[in-house]
Amino acid sequence: MRPATLAFELPSFVTAQFVASMVTIFVVLHLALGLAAYFILLERKVCAWVQDRIGPNRVGPLGLLQPIADGLKLFLKEEFMPRGADRTLFILAPALSVIPALIGFVVIPWAGTLDLASIPFLDLSGTVRIVGADVNVGVIYLIATASLGVYGVGLGGWASNNKYSFLGGLRASCQMISYEIPMGLCLLCVILAAGTVRPTEIVGAQLSGQWYLLHQPLAAIIFYTCLLAEANRAPFDLAEAEQELVGGWHTEYSSMKWALFFMAEYVHLFVGSAFFAVLFLGGWSLNPLFGWDVPATGGLATVLLQFGIVLGKVFGLVVLTMMIRWTLPRFRFDQLMRLAWEGMIPVSLLLLLVTSLFVFLGWTHHLWAGSLAALGIILLAHPHMPRQANPNHRVPLIGSRFSPLDDAGTSRS
Amino acid sequence: MPILILIVMAIGFAVVNTVATHLLGPGRGGQAKESTYESGMNPFGSARRRFNVRFYILAMTFLVFDVEIIFLYPWAVTYTKMDPGSAEAMLYLGRILFFIGTSVIAYIYAWRKGVFRWD
Repeated sequence: MRPATLAFELPSFVTAQFVASMVTIFVVLHLALGLAAYFILLERKVCAWVQDRIGPNRVGPLGLLQPIADGLKLFLKEEFMPRGADRTLFILAPALSVIPALIGFVVIPWAGTLDLASIPFLDLSGTVRIVGADVNVGVIYLIATASLGVYGVGLGGWASNNKYSFLGGLRASCQMISYEIPMGLCLLCVILAAGTVRPTEIVGAQLSGQWYLLHQPLAAIIFYTCLLAEANRAPFDLAEAEQELVGGWHTEYSSMKWALFFMAEYVHLFVGSAFFAVLFLGGWSLNPLFGWDVPATGGLATVLLQFGIVLGKVFGLVVLTMMIRWTLPRFRFDQLMRLAWEGMIPVSLLLLLVTSLFVFLGWTHHLWAGSLAALGIILLAHPHMPRQANPNHRVPLIGSRFSPLDDAGTSRS
Repeated sequence: MPILILIVMAIGFAVVNTVATHLLGPGRGGQAKESTYESGMNPFGSARRRFNVRFYILAMTFLVFDVEIIFLYPWAVTYTKMDPGSAEAMLYLGRILFFIGTSVIAYIYAWRKGVFRWD
């Protein structure tokens, strides 16, 4: 990367790429924080539409100022700390929850390469990538920051000295670490297809080829499900199951500390959707198949178009997540654990095996057949797997004490 | 470098929010207000009690798999660079299958021991 010519002296690390990275970070950070607030409004609106209600519509037109009012209100709310709480950890936990969420997006390529010569009024040349930091282990960095979020949740539950919080924190950390394994294995399937862990190159491979959603459909489904579980979204919101645990790990939190937990959740949702878009939906690629696509390098208009495409995909995924939340009922904890450990991990291990075999045979363009083969193996093997007793006993109604008829066959009452 | 700046920004955001809400919000404590929430009942005992050992066993099993997956990333990048079907790729595939196989044995053992059963 050649530094752009500038009139005055600057420190050596301030190159054109550095300025572009800082601008990207600045824009996306504010976008993420603003969108986190507006996703809450969107969530309430989607919930209202699903349940045939109107939703918030008092503050501003269509309720659009609701997030601002909520934010201001939360700043002015009283914060309190229950007796016996661990003061340091209690204050630290929301910060530990929101910081990993906020630093994750830096490696996601939000648009392609900007040709500096196309910017008017500035005498610049060269190209810059529209990404916060184009690190060569970007995917691993992203998954590492995502898994750091478990500390905030676990510590928040522990520090509160509340039984609900404690159980919620335990459940949440258990769930997050369990779903991280199939997530990592599905990520490996994508890396085997792309041959790189640099996010910009993964997008580039999908620009010239097909989207990895078509290459690895099974991995995409498992990855998306794990994303929901990692972000503690329904149907995996065991950690804050209102009917059982009041509020889960944030029962004792109030004011902006509570809001930081929620901001972390929605920023996670935003970053996770962007991650999914980069891995499986081709980033700013418009054409899922071979052939014409958005050019990778271009002027400001092209870059803005690419950014818009990525944001559109993220928005679609977020709305899908919200529809799922208001459609599916919550899992029970043993079902959740069985789905992760006895369902997803064997399937993704099998998928990894099949994918690496396909790569060995050189059939990288037919990886979709690998997903089909994995599905076939599962369907064939499933009836022959050793069974364990089903915990969900069904008590027959007739003859039980709930039966409307007594043993002689005449009606009770 | 941008990552470091972003980390500083994120820490600043978290600190400013926590401090601001501490300064702006009212602070009227009280005996009842400071007690932990237990659905309106008087709280009893501490919440830091013993919990199910399954959480601990599951965390250990997770550790095994997570470390294994970390080792698989460099393998995946190197492996895809090789000629398909070559003897070297065969060697790499065989080695990693052995590596995964060792932890799959542990995984099957844990499964049969009922580590993943929560009912």
